[in-house]
Amino acid sequence: MINSNSELILEISDLHAQVEGQKILNGVDLQIRSGEIHALMGRNGSGKSTLSKVLAGHPAYKVTNGKVLYRGEDLLGFEPEERARLGLFLGFQYPVEIPGVSNIEFLRVSTNSRRKQLGEEELDIFSFEDFVDSRLKLVQMNPSFLERSVNEGFSGGEKKRNEILQMALLEPILSILDETDSGLDIDALRIVAGGVNQLTNQDNATLLITHYQRLLDEIKPDFVHVMSSGRILRTGGSELARELEDSGYEWIENELPKTGES
Amino acid sequence: MKSQNLVGEIVSKPYKYGFVTDIETEKISKGLTEEVVRQISAKKKEPQFLLDFRLKAYKHWLTMTEPNWAELGYKKLNYQDIIYYAAPRDNEKKASLDEVDPKLLETFDKLGIPLTEQKRLSNVAVDAVFDSVSIATTYKEKLAEHGVVFCSITEAVAEYPELIEQYLGSVVPLNDNFFATLNSAVFSDGSFVFIPKGIDCPMELSSYFRINSGDIGQFERTLIIAEESSSVSYLEGCTAPMFDTNTLHAAVVEIVVLDDASVKYSTVQNWYSGDENGVGGIYNFVTKRGHCRGVRSKISWSQVETGSAITWKYPSCILQGEDSVGEFYSVALTNHLQKADTGTKMIHVGPRTKSTIVSKGISAGKSLNSYRGLVQIGPKAIGSKNYSQCDSMLIGDNAAANTFPYIRSQNPSSCIEHEASTCRISEDKLFYLQSRGIGFEEAVSMIVSGFCRDVFNQLPMEFAAEADKLLALKLEGSVG
Amino acid sequence: MDRERITKDGRKLKMSLQETKLWESLSEPRGPLASIQLSARESLKSRGMPAASEETWRLTDFQLLESILHLPLSSSASESNCSSVFDMPSPPTEGFRLMLSPGSEPLGLESLPKGFNLLNSEELKEVLGKALEHCGSNEDWSVGLNNSCVDNVLALRVEGIDLPSLELVISGKDGEFSATRVILLVEKNTHLNFLQVLLGAFNSAHSHLIEIHLAENASLNHEWLAFGGGKSSFLSHIAVEQQPKSDYSFTSIQKGWLFSRFEPCLVQVNGQASTKFRGLQIADSNEQIATNSTIRFDGPEGDLDQLHKGIAAGTSHSIFNGCIEVPQPAQRTSAAQLSRNLLLSNRSRVDTKPELKIVADDVRCTHGATVTELQEEQLFYMRSRGIEQIAAANLLLRGYCQEIISSLPMSFDRWKVLEHVLEGLRG
Repeated sequence: MINSNSELILEISDLHAQVEGQKILNGVDLQIRSGEIHALMGRNGSGKSTLSKVLAGHPAYKVTNGKVLYRGEDLLGFEPEERARLGLFLGFQYPVEIPGVSNIEFLRVSTNSRRKQLGEEELDIFSFEDFVDSRLKLVQMNPSFLERSVNEGFSGGEKKRNEILQMALLEPILSILDETDSGLDIDALRIVAGGVNQLTNQDNATLLITHYQRLLDEIKPDFVHVMSSGRILRTGGSELARELEDSGYEWIENELPKTGES
Repeated sequence: MKSQNLVGEIVSKPYKYGFVTDIETEKISKGLTEEVVRQISAKKKEPQFLLDFRLKAYKHWLTMTEPNWAELGYKKLNYQDIIYYAAPRDNEKKASLDEVDPKLLETFDKLGIPLTEQKRLSNVAVDAVFDSVSIATTYKEKLAEHGVVFCSITEAVAEYPELIEQYLGSVVPLNDNFFATLNSAVFSDGSFVFIPKGIDCPMELSSYFRINSGDIGQFERTLIIAEESSSVSYLEGCTAPMFDTNTLHAAVVEIVVLDDASVKYSTVQNWYSGDENGVGGIYNFVTKRGHCRGVRSKISWSQVETGSAITWKYPSCILQGEDSVGEFYSVALTNHLQKADTGTKMIHVGPRTKSTIVSKGISAGKSLNSYRGLVQIGPKAIGSKNYSQCDSMLIGDNAAANTFPYIRSQNPSSCIEHEASTCRISEDKLFYLQSRGIGFEEAVSMIVSGFCRDVFNQLPMEFAAEADKLLALKLEGSVG
Repeated sequence: MDRERITKDGRKLKMSLQETKLWESLSEPRGPLASIQLSARESLKSRGMPAASEETWRLTDFQLLESILHLPLSSSASESNCSSVFDMPSPPTEGFRLMLSPGSEPLGLESLPKGFNLLNSEELKEVLGKALEHCGSNEDWSVGLNNSCVDNVLALRVEGIDLPSLELVISGKDGEFSATRVILLVEKNTHLNFLQVLLGAFNSAHSHLIEIHLAENASLNHEWLAFGGGKSSFLSHIAVEQQPKSDYSFTSIQKGWLFSRFEPCLVQVNGQASTKFRGLQIADSNEQIATNSTIRFDGPEGDLDQLHKGIAAGTSHSIFNGCIEVPQPAQRTSAAQLSRNLLLSNRSRVDTKPELKIVADDVRCTHGATVTELQEEQLFYMRSRGIEQIAAANLLLRGYCQEIISSLPMSFDRWKVLEHVLEGLRG
């Protein structure tokens, strides 16, 4: 799937960021092209989730240095909703519960905002229901979840499926899936991974943030990056993930940092 | 499963601190007049500014009426029937403990607070207050090496008048409330703590208050000042003999905390609570307030309130410095006819101030235990946060538990969360423990102690064990 | 009339100008309630105006309260002019509508549907004031004010099965102070859907008092829409008495009043009943909207589920005082109360005080309160799905209100509750 002539979707250079006065990212460099699947691994607190929040534009995270180009444009200049409309999708590690707001209503408003951006026709309630129905199968989700409040009272697995359903509806160009495998049993993991696999193609790209090999058994990454102390220490192929599984992170952290071979 | 009367009436163990020390005491005559205020000041050889402070408070007090809003319903006190100053006859503070009347040392020995060098607690400096005067302060020299001042307020007036003049009444103004104003007019002794810039106080500081005479009021005054980047942990303990009259205890505590400093103030209050018919006991009407003046300053109150006939006390924090933090951890146990109305006020003034309130009330017998608290977030307290948790446990069906949380916010970027629950000792838990061979009483005390765990964890180690024992003692022989 | 009052303990107190005006504007007692009017006026006079020193009136804007008393008391002769704020929807298809206008005979009542009957004067005598007495609210100032002014009462007994639902519409009158009173007896094994709509006119003030008795096994779904307009004010008191095994579900919406004070009081006389309270109050511009609810369990095994939401925008002040009393006989009571508040502007203010008073040991009582702005994490989640900040905030506001509004089966659609509630609100 790797094709160095394909479009450069994301280009991060020397990115530094902090939250609540604490420095978390200390110079991240990363390039992602269309058609590629990247996996970002690392211990807790290494900065993986922060990177995802910064890319999605969370207001609590302040970029102090560096730049991020998304399809050639300055990503950091966009509001979170603009990034979403431009095709950047963040699958949350902990999807937020929003009492009182119906899931289907939320999905429709969200989907239409993306469709509007793409110059597609906005969907009314009925045609949207048909559209959702077609995507529900992808994540094997019960339609009754559509009538409930957003994520409210959903189990861990249901929340993650709801995230992938949103990914299916928004048809993003770059999907960042933050610990999408956490809290899933093996069946749910297969369903989620199956959904992601069906949604990836030559025109989009995926960044998987994970702790574990098991997700990477289901979704084969082209590149694996190891993050530590807010930087990418090492980049390799899928064999790197297996080495990590066997030997932990220490051997990498003890080596001199090597970066950016992609 | 057994029925609900499993947890029946509670009979507490006899109060073990109820003895009287037979010592010759000098008292001034009963009643409160301007002359009495002048007399107290003269006895303590005070400078003019302090006499003026007292007189101003006295004059204001005459215009005030006693508050009646707390749900306490107590017999009104006759303020002309109280003795406002009492001290062991020979009350010149001694340079050396060897000169202190052995009877006094014996008293504190019996209370578990030995003062003599051989026996004194290691790593805790103690200021022992007997009726209206401080009789001894341990480890003074060692503290002085670090520039820490720990002495009685009387000594502080003599030695550091400029600090007293600057800070006394600056947190609790002399016209603050009925009892604080009374205290400002007639306060006798109490502790003074000064932690200089950059110093972490090397040991715990502790004051121990003992009321001995039956007809006196105790009006101690405590002032704690923590300069920039300093820290201190201060403990306070109290007991009194058993008398069948009600004794008034109206203390004032003021704490001032500057930039990056922190003060931890812990109380284990075990004043005599009266007998099971509600005769006698201390009226504990106390004003405690801390002022987080500096940025990132912090005040943490923890209290275990088990004594007194009536407790009326709201240790508070004024969170003025940016990013300052206030905490309040409280366990209040009431039994028989005791009444406790206690809680805190967290006044958020500055931006990004944070407060936490954890209150555990346990009411048994026919007692009344109320949490009353105020959380106020002012218009400038941008991004401030409060979290409160107030739980009550009822033992027996004649005990009452009230919760009155006053919550006010004037700032949309702030967040207040309050949670409260009321429960009794669950039979499931009791049964589980009993089925593992634990005796009924022990099981009850384990559950109560577990209920209070969050608060006990905040107490200094020596005190936490003490508090646990105290609670167990109060509940012992009580149930079933 | 002299400007002094003699208090209960014999002291003389000066009356405010507004209060004097009120007494001057009252007409001679008359009608079936004449004796109640008389005694209420006496005791109200010696009680005096509410003061900040009284706990339940502590936060009241007394200027706004007194301004109510500026308005002349409406007389029976004047025509009710329905508020212009609202287009009245058609009555419920499975029910009927009554219009109650202050001062006049309640309605042309010969046409009441089967199952609905007016109380005769003997019956009325027996029940009048009973629920107030049980709730302990006879001495309340707002009750006294209503009793002093109102000279007629709509007293209904409802009994039977498959009853039509009842919609009762009451409108304030521009430039006048008016008062209405209702008694509703819901008899054994009866289920009723009951909607009250209270509309304010431009510069009106209205006092409303309703007493409700739920007999054993009775169930009442009570919806309450109080929509003011302009500078209107509203003082309302509800006293509910529940017998065992009865079921009371109450949902209230308050919006658009310059000053509103709402006092729902409920007592489960022998416990074993089920009570559900849902409330939403919205304060905007310079309004003060207050709810003081009191719920007491006088017997065992009662159940309460209360959720009250407040929104404060503009320079408004939203107040909630919720008291739950569980005395000794109320063993095995289960009560949950939650007060949620949203501050939408930095010049608005929220005060909330959820109170518990408990003397029974075998109970499960919880309460909670939150005051926040719209949650940043929720906003971000929606924005990360391409929804604009303002739209996301509005969706959240909608969701916040929806939780209450969804328990308004009778009025939700017909009275376009959600639209009215959200109108003019900005996250």
